[in-house]
Amino acid sequence: MTAWGLAWRTIARSPARSMLAVAGVTVIGALLFNMLLLSRGLLVSFRDLIDAAGFDIRIIAAQGSLVHREPIADAASLADAVARLPEVQRLTLVRSDSAQLLVPGRAGPGFRVAVVGTTGAAAGSVWTIVRGSSLPSSAVPGEPTPLIVSPRIASELHLEPGSEVRLRLFVAGTASALPLVTARVVGVGAFAFEAAGDDTVATTIEGLAAARVAPADAAAEMVLVSSRPGAGKAAAAAIAALRPDLRVLSNDQVIEQFNENAFSYFRQISTVLSSMTLAFAFLLIATLLTMSVNQRLGEVAALRALGFPRRRIAANLLWESALLVGVGGAAAIPVGGLLAIVLDRILRQMPGVPTRLHFFVFEPRTLVLHAALLGATGVLAALYPIWLATRLPIAATLRREILS
Amino acid sequence: MNTPIIEGRGLTRSFAMPAGVVTALGEVSIRVDAVDYVAITGPSGCGKSTLLHILGCVDQASAGSLAFEGREVGALTESERSRIRLTRIGFVFQRFFLLPMLTAWENVELPQAEAGSTKADRRARTGELLDYVGLTDRRDHRPAQLSGGEMQRVAIARALANRPALLLADEPTGELDEETGAQIATLFDRVHRDGTAIVVVTHNPAVAARAGRHLVMKSGRVIST
Repeated sequence: MTAWGLAWRTIARSPARSMLAVAGVTVIGALLFNMLLLSRGLLVSFRDLIDAAGFDIRIIAAQGSLVHREPIADAASLADAVARLPEVQRLTLVRSDSAQLLVPGRAGPGFRVAVVGTTGAAAGSVWTIVRGSSLPSSAVPGEPTPLIVSPRIASELHLEPGSEVRLRLFVAGTASALPLVTARVVGVGAFAFEAAGDDTVATTIEGLAAARVAPADAAAEMVLVSSRPGAGKAAAAAIAALRPDLRVLSNDQVIEQFNENAFSYFRQISTVLSSMTLAFAFLLIATLLTMSVNQRLGEVAALRALGFPRRRIAANLLWESALLVGVGGAAAIPVGGLLAIVLDRILRQMPGVPTRLHFFVFEPRTLVLHAALLGATGVLAALYPIWLATRLPIAATLRREILS
Repeated sequence: MNTPIIEGRGLTRSFAMPAGVVTALGEVSIRVDAVDYVAITGPSGCGKSTLLHILGCVDQASAGSLAFEGREVGALTESERSRIRLTRIGFVFQRFFLLPMLTAWENVELPQAEAGSTKADRRARTGELLDYVGLTDRRDHRPAQLSGGEMQRVAIARALANRPALLLADEPTGELDEETGAQIATLFDRVHRDGTAIVVVTHNPAVAARAGRHLVMKSGRVIST
């Protein structure tokens, strides 16, 4: 009989204890799996999100940050200059504000919304049209401000393409004295970066300027640039040379910044909790195997007396550990997966977090890492029981067993 | 003169205890040849089991020398001693120590597998041994489904699995009633007749009476042979 077979029989000998051990490893393994998914989940999901937006370079003012952006001085001429660069395929200007959205004939204070003003090229990447059409590429004189509204706003306010609404921008820190402007919904679109609980509308830069009662100067706080294939670095360098006073960030740099700041909390939590779960797994397996060995010292001593070498006893215990960890670890994957879905749903409800951003993301390497960590823990946990079983004094143990 | 299976000279075994050094075995010399059937008797704590464990290479003497089939046991590695125990010595314990999760067949087959026997050889030898001890019909029973006498017979079959030159038994009838003990003693007679040397430690006079040689021990020494 192989060491594996003997280990299996030994485990099957105490089914209740083995089931409890497997259940314990399953729960611990599920938590470990979750923590491993969390450790890189935000990073992977965020990369997917910004890559899917279709732009590989972001230009922002030197002051502020990617989240709290300052206006870019002379954004219109910057846009012209960047658009002329041979490495650049397309670009769009982005400006954001908050506003009050009112539906004519509907009572109440209206809807507070986030307004994104773009030059239009963001369609299909920053938002996806669900119904109606996207923003026009240029303003049509005399026409109301064109508006894309999120599905939630459309549903709440019963808006459809063609519906007319009123928009009043807020001025930070004061009661807004800006006038209401008439806007017309041209489409309903899902916004890639919209957070849970946020209500977003998009319009053209000119439309936003009109709402601000400001000249249509293409004022922006970010320029999104899509470079030609393979020309990302050259494009970024060329833009930086054009305007050394601005920050030009590739997607990798954006991700790196988020990874070092916002995401590092989750990574640290994941590391601490992963270590804790591994410690629990170690203690659980080591305790169970030690108890098991202590209960059958006589058998072990007899096997040694019959000529079974130490390595065979060690192999049996290693296999026992591997079986408990293997079965529990395998069961932990679906359990952990389900738990990750639930936790992800909860975390994505956090304010300010884009609903398309996931905290728990599966990667094949997570499975490998999960197996390796649990495997290593199983081996470590078996070391003490192995030492106990292989170093026991055979004669003294047999004598003690007879006397007991 | 034939080489003895095992020969010990001046075997001494001392244990360091909190109250001082205790000598469990004091300068015992013993020789067991291939044709021998030796019974060791004496009061509890006289050193019988200690001597048996030293002869079985599971314990080492504090002083003296022990040779197994001409090889000095003290010079062997742990791995070499294990190999001798596996292939040249059979052990029968008072409490049987069968693996409870294995059937009678698997318990007998296990040492053969460890010794590297082929599957066909194992099957033939295990069947032969279970027939030898009269348990063919109990081959698929686990120890918990066997009586004490049956368990000891399985243990004897297991001890003989690798055709040892020497069978060591430590109180083999200690857990059995008189009638079952007599059956086990009869089985030992047969094993001896079939060519295996036996050293049995026993309190049972009936078992001791069957042996060709009888050593009586007291206070760690052999007082009569």
